[in-house]
Amino acid sequence: MSDLEIRPRPTVGLSRLVGLLVVLMASILGPTSAAAPAPSTAPAPRRASRASRPAPEPARLPFDREASTSIFLVGAAVHVGNGTVIEGGVVELRGARIVAVDGPERAGALPSGAAVIDLAGKRLTPGLVAAASPLGLVEIDMESATVDAERQDGDPIRAGYDAAMAINADSSLLPVNAIEGITSAAVTPRGGLLSGQVAWIDLVAGDHVGIVARPRIAAAGTFGSAVAGSRAATFARLHEVLDDAALLRDRRGSFDKRQTRELSAHRLDLEALAPVLAGEVPLVMRADRASDLLALAELARSSPLRVAVVGGAQAWKVADVLAAAEVAVIVQPSLNLPQSVDQLGARLDDAALLHAAGVRVGITVLDDPHNARNVTQEAGIAVAHGLPHEAALSAITLELARIYGMEQHYGSIEPGKVANLVVWDGDPFELSQWPRQVYLRGQVIPMRSRQTLLRDRYRDLGRFRDRDE
Amino acid sequence: MLLVSIDRPPAGRRARSVGVLLACVVLLLTMAAACGKKTGETTPPEPPPPSRTRPEEPERPRPAPTGPQLLLRGARVMTAAGVVYPHGDVLLRGDRIAAVGSELPVPKGATVVDLRGKVLTPGIIDTHSHIGVYAAPGLSAHADGNETSAAVTAEVWAADAVWPQDPQLERARAGGITTMQILPGSANLIGGRSVVIKPYPGLRSIEDARFVGAPDGLKMACGENPKRVHGDKGGPSTRMGNVAGYRKAFQQAVEYRRNWQRYRDKKARWEAKQLARSRGEASPADEGEDGKGKDEDPPDPPARDDAMETLVGVLDGETLVHMHCYRADEMSLMMDLARSFGFRIRSFHHAVEAYKIADRLAARDVAASVWADWWGFKAEAYDGIRENAALLSAAGGRPIIHSDSAIGIQRLNQEAAKALFAGRRIGLRISDDEALRWITANPAWALGVHGEVGTLEEGKLADLVVWSGDPFSVYSRAEQVYIEGRLVFDEGWGDRAPRSDFEVGLSPADLERDAPPPVFPPGEAAPKAKKDEEDDR
Repeated sequence: MSDLEIRPRPTVGLSRLVGLLVVLMASILGPTSAAAPAPSTAPAPRRASRASRPAPEPARLPFDREASTSIFLVGAAVHVGNGTVIEGGVVELRGARIVAVDGPERAGALPSGAAVIDLAGKRLTPGLVAAASPLGLVEIDMESATVDAERQDGDPIRAGYDAAMAINADSSLLPVNAIEGITSAAVTPRGGLLSGQVAWIDLVAGDHVGIVARPRIAAAGTFGSAVAGSRAATFARLHEVLDDAALLRDRRGSFDKRQTRELSAHRLDLEALAPVLAGEVPLVMRADRASDLLALAELARSSPLRVAVVGGAQAWKVADVLAAAEVAVIVQPSLNLPQSVDQLGARLDDAALLHAAGVRVGITVLDDPHNARNVTQEAGIAVAHGLPHEAALSAITLELARIYGMEQHYGSIEPGKVANLVVWDGDPFELSQWPRQVYLRGQVIPMRSRQTLLRDRYRDLGRFRDRDE
Repeated sequence: MLLVSIDRPPAGRRARSVGVLLACVVLLLTMAAACGKKTGETTPPEPPPPSRTRPEEPERPRPAPTGPQLLLRGARVMTAAGVVYPHGDVLLRGDRIAAVGSELPVPKGATVVDLRGKVLTPGIIDTHSHIGVYAAPGLSAHADGNETSAAVTAEVWAADAVWPQDPQLERARAGGITTMQILPGSANLIGGRSVVIKPYPGLRSIEDARFVGAPDGLKMACGENPKRVHGDKGGPSTRMGNVAGYRKAFQQAVEYRRNWQRYRDKKARWEAKQLARSRGEASPADEGEDGKGKDEDPPDPPARDDAMETLVGVLDGETLVHMHCYRADEMSLMMDLARSFGFRIRSFHHAVEAYKIADRLAARDVAASVWADWWGFKAEAYDGIRENAALLSAAGGRPIIHSDSAIGIQRLNQEAAKALFAGRRIGLRISDDEALRWITANPAWALGVHGEVGTLEEGKLADLVVWSGDPFSVYSRAEQVYIEGRLVFDEGWGDRAPRSDFEVGLSPADLERDAPPPVFPPGEAAPKAKKDEEDDR
């Protein structure tokens, strides 16, 4: 690691301004992710003034709407997502947001004529998050025309590939998973060393305009032997790319005048890494082997980068190092096989061991967006092998929002957050349980999917003709 | 020993299983009887019939149980035979179940295990695994599941490729699996013979694990996989080509069987003639068609063909067909095709659209081995629904929850639970016992071993799982697993649990222990090891 240092972001002066310009340009140009270079249009004149503003976390997301009336969800055991439970809680929704969360005392003081949903005896949890998932990018895995999860070129550096541009709001996977409690997804491209940009979506089926809550919330990649079949080559390539991204950010003027050395990746892919270099968005890397995890921990320790790991089969072996470097780990607890040599030692209590060591733990279903819904079962399996129950709920809600930097808006039932909520009869991890109602951005959704409709078409087979009869 | 004189099976084959050999002998004897009293003692070498046993209930007389007695007491006993005892007892004697009930008397000399608070079920049975033929780690050297050199490879046997050191086997065992069918993959129209095993520890060959007496199984595949794999190398490249391929193969088998029948008829006549001669009863009419004695030599047998032998086993109803098939239309067509050749498909596998033809599957008594919730990864899986098994169950069919996954096989109980609760969610009345049958009695039937395993009933093999709680809860774990009365897994064993070779020595903890990681369960290897230690001292 010592052979390369990630330069800390300059905090003052022109280079700071240039850096912000790059970030902004990337965000304005948006769909600069295609394999073919996007047309380099002249910058808009307003940019300088916008760049001069500090960029605080916006309090609103594109779908936020004004609303004058509230809906009160009353009486449920509110599992906030941060480990606390409010028995008989009162949750006030307005527009797409939660505006208040109170104890049972509020139930007697609701405005007259208020819209009240009685949830006595129910359990209310935050909407569940599908992390590191190609949800929305894949309809039928084996039909390439329905798959947009990966930029299919030979270059392992695809950091500019922007998942937000490819999400299919009509995907049948969205309602299938939404009615089982998945309300948001960190939609993640795959392939190469740096696969592209992650988008945060809510599973609002059919909302082509509004499905993306925020694009480019993280850069995703795959560690290990992604480059030239060698993990040593992978390290070197990653460092080279990050170094070049920093150079482009800091010396953009020189670059445009061709006064810099040759850069090792496409300009757009390097530009897309600027927020990662600054630690504004995380680098979320698929990795399993302890040596890879240590390399990522060192990267996090020695630079402003925020790093999270997906997979982590051997993470338990280096849990203390990951905890010290504040590297979060997103696991799929059931994966206990030595399926590859990088996964030797995979075990069912990985999540519990990591949690006990102070590592931030997320839980997800890897590589199967069709069944992202089974994250509740995965959480249950983690609990069966030692993870505390509320930690497991947090690992599929708030901890994931934190890992992706979306905790201001998502992940728990707290005032100001998006009203993605799930009503259950009982323990959401139990196989006998399913959501009774799901709220997306403050609204109930129809509890139907392509699957329930197919089911209902074939419940009465007596209607069909059978030539055997 | 008639079989030993036969030229065909190499020595290794002959040892495959006592059960198969016995079955062959039984069949030969049956055949001899059918040939009538003409069969003389000078029987020339004859190729054996295909090795097979009967698919229906193997009504072999069960030996009276002997051996040590173990009384498992006080658990919730879910028999998968229609009875649940809230506080039940199961008495094992040797390798069999001697009694099931509540408050059984304690036999003299029996060891008593207190299982209050636990749940006892039959051992879990998976009809669909590729463990051992696609072993972990997934090295290129371990890809032994699809013989893709041709679209029809009825001559290959999965048993020839199962790596008994696959670490996935012990994980399946830890999940309560006591019987499993290992199948060739689905790249081919006809992929080859399966092998039914019990995941014992300490295997040096998969033959050490073979389920003695289980009928042969044949893997076939519909739809996308064969045409994808073979489309660019000679076909089939369409579903039309797939079905033409099945027809062609079975038509060949029909003709092969006819040729062998002709030969047997000829030989029987020849033998009768020899007998008549030896008794001096020969008549001119027996001296060949031209009366000049041209047929002095016995007739030559036709060439033996392994692939055809397997398919003849199917035609004769003695080899069970397990067919990978997703779509309702294809399953319907395949049932028709099978019927036109006079055989039945025992179980469709994957069958994500079984719910669309639940009535047909039930009427023809064809089982469907399905996942709880896999769907959409390919076009033919696009219509999968959670209620698939439950709707088939409600229609009177035989649903089975299978894994096709070395992860899923570790908790088929949870997969069954998801399918069960999906059914209850839409108001179907499905008992716990019925859902348990999806992973015990029904797969036992599909594998033709339901006379021996699949339920907790007196006389059956003592394959059982002790669960920490309700097997349909996500939090329950298999705490103990018995196969044929032998404790093969105990959660409490920890590092003392038997392990296959592959993972030995790959962790520092192994290098620090004085003895190698065990091959056998703790209690079993102990006596000898103790003695050795004493000698050392």
